[in-house]
Amino acid sequence: MADNPGTAVVEDRALPEEEQLRADLYGLLARLLSAPPGAKELGALRALKGDDSALGRAVTALGKVAAVTSVEAAEREYNRLFIGVGRGELLPYGSYYLTGFLNEKPLAVLREHMAKLGIARVDNVHEPEDHIATLCEIMAGLITGAFGRPFSLEDQEAFFNTHLAQWAGHFFTDLEAAESSVLYAPVGRIGQEFMRIEVEAWRMDA
Amino acid sequence: MEERKAGASRRDFLKLAGTGAPAAVAAAALAPVSAEAEEATGSMLRETEHVRKYLESARF
Repeated sequence: MADNPGTAVVEDRALPEEEQLRADLYGLLARLLSAPPGAKELGALRALKGDDSALGRAVTALGKVAAVTSVEAAEREYNRLFIGVGRGELLPYGSYYLTGFLNEKPLAVLREHMAKLGIARVDNVHEPEDHIATLCEIMAGLITGAFGRPFSLEDQEAFFNTHLAQWAGHFFTDLEAAESSVLYAPVGRIGQEFMRIEVEAWRMDA
Repeated sequence: MEERKAGASRRDFLKLAGTGAPAAVAAAALAPVSAEAEEATGSMLRETEHVRKYLESARF
């Protein structure tokens, strides 16, 4: 029914509940993977509590770890994971996961696809577009219509299958297992579970 | 038509699978990434720097 506790973030456009949830999960991953959470974000994460499903347990774990993580610790962890001295522990780029190198063909294919969908990166961002956070942000935007219009499930599936399906699960597994991961371990788990759900759900379209 | 056939089972599945992630996730999805990035000049510069390093090391 119409009892929706998350109204503040949900836009007027009435997206079906389950599609909004997908957008929220992509949004959460995009936010946490693009930069460490600040005080406000950590506060919101602390309130998270899921049920007994695999995804629910991962969400609960994130809430618990967030409760004992300071802003400084989160920033240190993020830097060790993704920035580091020279390089971080992980390279969260599609091209790297698919070819072993950055800026290879998968990035070119992605840029073409983005152009076709009418999506471009912000001018002051120099991060290659195949960063996992960017891809999650694009998925969220395709669902909610942040890029001018909501895209069809077919468009979403094509984007997911081309740019995420082959490697995102591996990345999230690596993120959970990374030596530096504490707060980001449950983020990795949420990502794994969510990617599994996405793959399964696309299968239902057939 | 095709969409409707697909919609029913996909919807049921996602509802079931998604119950684990409460609506609170919506609140945690938080501020858009781009707004954050524009403000955090320092961290963007750092990221640019590390990407540049990767690009150099990847090019041989």
